[in-house]
Amino acid sequence: MVGYKQGMTRRQFLKATAAGVVVCEIAGSPHISRAGEEYDLAVISGEPVAATKKALEAIGGISRFVKQGQRVVLKPNMSFSNTPDRGSTTHPLVVITVAQACIEAGAQQVLVLDHTLQRAELCLERNGIKEACKDMNRVHVLALQEKKFFLEIKIPQGKVLERVEVMKEILDGSVLINLPVAKSHSATGVSLGIKGLMGLIWDRESFHTQYNINQALADLATVIKPRLTILDATRALASGGPGGPGEIKKPNLIIAGIDPVAVDSYGVSIVPWYGQNFKGRQVEHLLAAHQRGVGKIDTDQLRIFKEKA
Amino acid sequence: MRKFLQTISLLLFTGFFVFATYKLPNWLPADIYLRLDPLLGLNAVFAAREIIGRALWALITLGATFVIGRFFCAYVCPMGVSIDFLDFLFLRKKKRLGLKAEASFRKTKLFLLIIFVSAAVTGLSLAFLMDPMSLLTRFYTFFIYPLAITLINLALDLLRPLFQALGWITLSHLHYPQPVYYMSAITLLIFGGIIALNLLVPRFWCRYLCPLGALLSLISPLGLFKRRVNEDCNECLKCQNSCPMGAVAENPRETRLPECIQCRTCAKVCPQEAISFPASLSLGGEYSKVDFSRRGFLYSLAGGLGVGFLATQTPFTLQQSKHQLIRPPGAIPETEFLRTCIRCGECMKSCLTNTLQPCLWESGFSGLWTPKMDLRLAPCDQNCNVCGKVCPTQAIRSLTLEEKTHAKAGTAVLRKEMCLVWAENKICLICDEICPYNAIVFRPVEGYRRPVVIPSKCNGCGFCEQRCPVRGEAAIVVVPNGEIRLKEGSYIKEAKKLQLEFKPDPGDDKFILEESGFKVEERKKGEKNIPKGEKPQPKKPKGFL
Repeated sequence: MVGYKQGMTRRQFLKATAAGVVVCEIAGSPHISRAGEEYDLAVISGEPVAATKKALEAIGGISRFVKQGQRVVLKPNMSFSNTPDRGSTTHPLVVITVAQACIEAGAQQVLVLDHTLQRAELCLERNGIKEACKDMNRVHVLALQEKKFFLEIKIPQGKVLERVEVMKEILDGSVLINLPVAKSHSATGVSLGIKGLMGLIWDRESFHTQYNINQALADLATVIKPRLTILDATRALASGGPGGPGEIKKPNLIIAGIDPVAVDSYGVSIVPWYGQNFKGRQVEHLLAAHQRGVGKIDTDQLRIFKEKA
Repeated sequence: MRKFLQTISLLLFTGFFVFATYKLPNWLPADIYLRLDPLLGLNAVFAAREIIGRALWALITLGATFVIGRFFCAYVCPMGVSIDFLDFLFLRKKKRLGLKAEASFRKTKLFLLIIFVSAAVTGLSLAFLMDPMSLLTRFYTFFIYPLAITLINLALDLLRPLFQALGWITLSHLHYPQPVYYMSAITLLIFGGIIALNLLVPRFWCRYLCPLGALLSLISPLGLFKRRVNEDCNECLKCQNSCPMGAVAENPRETRLPECIQCRTCAKVCPQEAISFPASLSLGGEYSKVDFSRRGFLYSLAGGLGVGFLATQTPFTLQQSKHQLIRPPGAIPETEFLRTCIRCGECMKSCLTNTLQPCLWESGFSGLWTPKMDLRLAPCDQNCNVCGKVCPTQAIRSLTLEEKTHAKAGTAVLRKEMCLVWAENKICLICDEICPYNAIVFRPVEGYRRPVVIPSKCNGCGFCEQRCPVRGEAAIVVVPNGEIRLKEGSYIKEAKKLQLEFKPDPGDDKFILEESGFKVEERKKGEKNIPKGEKPQPKKPKGFL
């Protein structure tokens, strides 16, 4: 989360970001406490709703992250105008389960946002997320496709990327929760949480054409830090990503954690991608993010809470 | 009463126009005004030489005119409403210049009608040039619609701080994609010209030029309701001066029945209240005749046939079978398409992605304003089939999504000399990534994985062409080769017959397995003695180390 100290005015904040000062807010320790033990990740298997609920419970409840009256930004993958069975977008049930939990925790509003790759109205219609959220008060599903909804920030730790335009909504102190879907990607190997952050920026194309996309993603991960990442691996598009069609595997998993690299790294290990097994370290953008200090990459050093829902 | 009905009609026209989007429900005929236009129907039926189902709706208009008279021009025609409204707004107080030899000008519209109909007989669709429904829909599409979106977005931007303050989330993030079209300026000039002609006389267009009005005037004297003046008339000539159509004869008791549109302005202004419009079967004497000369008829007939000859006997016609343009999926075979299309622009309005654009001269005079896909601008979305739904003559067939997917619009061709991968050994796979049908695969050639199009899986949607990062013309372009154009029957069957498959499937994505560009370069340096053409073994997919 690109955050700022409570009580800062918008002007101060703009000045601060312009000066390259990005203050990150992290809710307590990056661990999950459960029955006296500390965990890095919760890995829950089961149906989308039950597993998501269990995962939220396992991380100590959403109220650890979402406080009364706060605004929440959920970032599922809504980038393609495909139905959920194609595996290219986050499952609507995962999205509404998290949204519902946020509302119950007292969130003032829940914005479900993405900058889609295909025509926005078709994406929102066909991936089922808008329909699923339609009866939920205070939940708004929006695709932001115009530059005016974005604001440029600096990336002090950036190696290839010095500045990037991100959605204004994640800059004003709201709680960002990343809800990526697990899929393969023809340019970055896998598209999980960190790749999903690309849906929060304006100029997606330059990542493909101007920069080394993997290094640029790692740079992006140093400034956009979701408070929580909940990886929808109920299905995994193991080839043909990011848009599909491709081979759909059914890991039936929900993986939740605070450390974005740890979540992704574990996500790499759950299915073979393009028919081969990989580790997080073998994914260029995850390794680069790890090297920039964004999070832990070696899954054998992670404390993982596993359960069936 | 008349103003009220006119307003309703214009609102309905606008409403149907607005509804022509990809969300159009199947039961809603968004093109209803165009279907009701007998001139467009006649034109398409003659030019295409067959009965067109949707054109039969025009029989309603013809039937109603038979019964009532030429009420259409006064109460229904949205062009008439626009002219009246803009006239009231801008020209009401201007002194009109008037027109000498008014009577002879009046025939012009009949000559135009004959030109259009005889051109249609030669197979040239020409009525679109001056048909009010087609003209107005075009004007709405190419000018009003983009302007309206601009204004709406401007208003949204201005009000955004207010929406934000009120916490109206959806409104504070609302923005409509701006549609853009070629030929907006020309369309505006034509429409502006029509309005400006009112400076001469009111409803200049309707009096002298409108070929649809001319068609209706041929049968309107048979209508039931006719103007009648009783003996209270004191010949003050107020009715004559106020008639917007010039339908009151030199003797104000007589009416030029073909011209009378039953607007009843005369009855309203008559100080003696001497004018009424009772039902009557009788014809109104000498003024009920259509104002026409044999010479004029023959000249315009020859004119129409001549235009038809000139416009069709060109190299464009000979090359129709190998035309250059990508037509929307479902467009009937090119020759029939050109004959059937009435250039209303409705398909271009409704097009979800804005890829449908009007032709200027790309297929000659006979192709003016016909829709083409500009795939560098935008692709054709596989989830949208609205262009066929709204086509009033079914020059683009209304297809289910499944059928439309199989209506192959063309085939993507890779231009290796421009492709970043083929020509410069760069790593680029945008076309492969975006292709909805996996019609692009990577194959190892000369030590690199390079994109190749599988023509039997490509349906010409153009996502690759639009997204190709090469500047200027794309390195992958859709050409009409391989297009399926059927006048009738199933595209799915035809595609099966040709062994095409547009079903999205995993394809042979294993060929994407590829090391990153740097690694390939290094290995090439180290292993120069690898014989050319030997396939390097794929090791890891891109993005993995």
